[in-house]
Amino acid sequence: MTLPLQDPQLATEAEGQPSTRTGFFRTVLRERKSAVVGLSIIVFFVLLSIVAPYISPYSITEQTCAVYAPPSSAHWLGCDDGGIDMLSQLMQGGRISLIVGFAATLVAMVIGGGVGLLSGYFGRATDIVLMRITDYLLVIPDLVLMIVIADVWGASLFHVIIVIGILEWTSTARIIRAQVMSLRERVYVKRTRALGAGNARIIFKHILPQVGPLLIANTVLTIAIAIYLETALAFLGLEDPTVTTWGTILEHAFERTAISSGAWWAIVPAGIVIAAVIVGCFLFGQAVEDALNPRLKVANLSVRRWRLRPLVGRGPDAL
Amino acid sequence: MRSADYLIKRGFFALVTVFVAITINFFLFRVLPGSAVSDLSRVPKASPQLKHALTVEFGLDKPKWQQYLIYLRQLFHGNMGISFANQQPVSHLLIADLKNTIPMVTVGTVAAIVVGMVTGILSAWRRGSAADHVSTNGAIVFYAFPTQWLGLMLLIIFAGTLPAGGMENPFLFTAEPFWPHLGDIAQHMVLPAATLLLTAYGSYTLVVRSSMLETLGEDYVLTARAKGLPDRRVVRRHAFRNAMLPMVTLVALDLGYIVGGAVLIEVIFSWPGIGLAMYDAIQQRDYPMLQGGFLILTVAVIVLNFAADLLYFRLDPRISQ
Amino acid sequence: MSLLEVEDLHVWFDLPGSAGGQVHAAAGVSFALAEGERFGLVGESGCGKTTTILALMGLLPPTASLAGQVRVNGRNILSGGEESVRAHRWTDVAMVFQGAMNALNPVKRIGWQIAEPMAFHGVAHGAAARKRAGELLEMVGISAAAAERYPHEFSGGMRQRASIAMALACEPKVLLADEPTTALDVMVQAQILELLTRLSRELGLALVLVTHDLPVVAQVCDRAAVMYAGEIVETGPMDTLYHAPRHPYTRLLFAATPDLYGDEAVASIPGTPPRLDRAITGCPFRPRCDSAFEPCADEHPVLRAVGPGHEAACHLTRQLAGKRHD
Repeated sequence: MTLPLQDPQLATEAEGQPSTRTGFFRTVLRERKSAVVGLSIIVFFVLLSIVAPYISPYSITEQTCAVYAPPSSAHWLGCDDGGIDMLSQLMQGGRISLIVGFAATLVAMVIGGGVGLLSGYFGRATDIVLMRITDYLLVIPDLVLMIVIADVWGASLFHVIIVIGILEWTSTARIIRAQVMSLRERVYVKRTRALGAGNARIIFKHILPQVGPLLIANTVLTIAIAIYLETALAFLGLEDPTVTTWGTILEHAFERTAISSGAWWAIVPAGIVIAAVIVGCFLFGQAVEDALNPRLKVANLSVRRWRLRPLVGRGPDAL
Repeated sequence: MRSADYLIKRGFFALVTVFVAITINFFLFRVLPGSAVSDLSRVPKASPQLKHALTVEFGLDKPKWQQYLIYLRQLFHGNMGISFANQQPVSHLLIADLKNTIPMVTVGTVAAIVVGMVTGILSAWRRGSAADHVSTNGAIVFYAFPTQWLGLMLLIIFAGTLPAGGMENPFLFTAEPFWPHLGDIAQHMVLPAATLLLTAYGSYTLVVRSSMLETLGEDYVLTARAKGLPDRRVVRRHAFRNAMLPMVTLVALDLGYIVGGAVLIEVIFSWPGIGLAMYDAIQQRDYPMLQGGFLILTVAVIVLNFAADLLYFRLDPRISQ
Repeated sequence: MSLLEVEDLHVWFDLPGSAGGQVHAAAGVSFALAEGERFGLVGESGCGKTTTILALMGLLPPTASLAGQVRVNGRNILSGGEESVRAHRWTDVAMVFQGAMNALNPVKRIGWQIAEPMAFHGVAHGAAARKRAGELLEMVGISAAAAERYPHEFSGGMRQRASIAMALACEPKVLLADEPTTALDVMVQAQILELLTRLSRELGLALVLVTHDLPVVAQVCDRAAVMYAGEIVETGPMDTLYHAPRHPYTRLLFAATPDLYGDEAVASIPGTPPRLDRAITGCPFRPRCDSAFEPCADEHPVLRAVGPGHEAACHLTRQLAGKRHD
């Protein structure tokens, strides 16, 4: 049922999508507050991580206060059971957590991108096989499989990065595959092929640049998942306990009876910053995805109603 | 697609996925690593007879491909080896643990579904209002908090008023009558299930909201409104059913997340389920238990996914015809 | 007294975004319908015809504002907003939507969907409602047994018939049909149109048929109104519009229809309709008109009588009628 004027933007001439990618992101930021909030949070934590070693008030390897010392003016977030300043741990731990998140996402992107490209471009048998594998991996519970792999392989940060990466690429693969398939059919790609360009050239010069914004949204969302999974694996003791990450902070707090000691400061702030980064990633990624798939659906039913206006003047130009 | 086709296709897929999981399990535990992990007969403090019996049972002196077939056969008989920690059969231990996990996870998940649906519908109905923003952002925030952190927070807040761990009070007599016993377990279940609720409901809220908004934009909703039906009836009779279909798919897809969350929750609350069993297996290097746990959890998720396929099939007449 | 009277109907839609502003989607639409009369509403996509008939039943989204009156048997059904118009829906005025593809609920059986409004409006309940649903299906040419089926089991044409049966469930006096035959193949189109005509004659049902397809409206309707940029630019008996149109748009519209037997090239009207988010000075059709002259740029033409039951909104009509310049 077409009611073109229900979407007033169609009645007015379309402005036209900004053709450059930066133009797209500027539009998204301008129109959606959630994108701005999300991006700000991400940027804040990235910057914080970069400067953390320089601005953290205390060392995280040496004891600088009493065991489970409560928050004070000297130690804003108190100390843990080893007398190490919590705030410094959060800052520097965040650095490692973010690095793990980014690195694992990179692994996932590479695998997913590769799978999606091959699947979408070559189609047929390649596609069927690769997508089947993707389907199986989707059903098998990822954290459980990660636990098993990480335990057999050994507890280390590097292993955690790889383990997360090899199980979180499926969404990327799907996106890339869909884009590649739709772009493959476009006339200019066919023309380029006719001119004799090889597959690799077509892939890199014509297809990849078009996938940009969707890929960025997916990357950001995968980073959120990776950070989340890192904390889970750390909590279960599958990460190197000597490294400080947000995940190991929570693990230490649990193992070393922070609760019965009443040391809430060893627990609460860690969860808050983890959630903050994840929320930031989610808001930004979701906003970009929404901007790319606008669902301009009319509210055929709504709690708010259409309004009656008294007519001022008569005739078609009475407004 | 005819009904039989759909069911067969999904059933076959489930079966193949189980097979893939079994193969991954074998590969990870028996092919790749050193004998510390892969040798099922290395039960600590076991008698030589036991070790020999296991070697024969699992063909541990044979080539790997033969071991694989033997492994399949043993699995078919429900034999997953002997726990390194207490020399009991792995399958017996895990089944007992599973019986503890299921009620807690079910209560938490059902609660999450209900809360998610209510908040999602409310948000969609009052789109753009303050209630919508609170509800949606709340969902995102709770979903973002690590599951273990939510559990720890509940412990901090409620330790003292509610049991801090375990499934039942060990000081109650075992001959305790049924209802007080059930009440005791229920009391212990509150915090773990509540943690699962808080960690899982957010994704349901968002999906229901989005699906409801989509449905409210469909033509048949306008038709229902055009018939003069009041809004509540339109939502209840026309929009709701259609909007909830994606929920079935989502709950199925989310099972992996729920299972992962259950592991973390059982660790925090010392809930004697299969998640805690796996955690203990990690601590104690009890590889047969770890393998078995992975397999049982994975198969459970696959089976539940298939059940969700069946449910979807039942609910959507477009597929079943 | 007319069965349905639309007087000076205006519809505005709010523009999204913080900039605000509105689109004036329907401006000063007026027409009247007698019992059993078949009236066509014709125009290009986006001319406001769908907006108009949705407004007749108050089926507008929250971004809409409305002014004017819609009177059924003398009573303005829109005066109280959404709540007040609800009682009149389906019982006085019913609608058949475009593309019954999605206008029928996919998870409910056809019979149930037809019977549902009957129970609610107190026309029939339970077994009686089901029986009546079967009768309605027979009336539109579908076997009563099909009531147990789901919409996706029907072909496009059958779905549209079922939608018509559903619309008649509470014995409305007016039936609004929004592009009822678009997306159907030609043979089925003819059947549906014939069905609508027959129902109108046998039941005394007044029909408002909205379409961009001129042969459709020519086949079914006695009278029609041509809409452009949200306004009615010409209205009159079907024959007159076809043979003696007084508005250039009507003339060009009819000329643009491909002639099945002729060899003439299809003439299309160059240009596009104007934006409706700003006020238009002069005649909205001027940029595309082949007969525009001085007054067209500054003066907005109003509908005036140019014959019996025939009105047109064009400055040319003043020129021809006695060469007076107002």
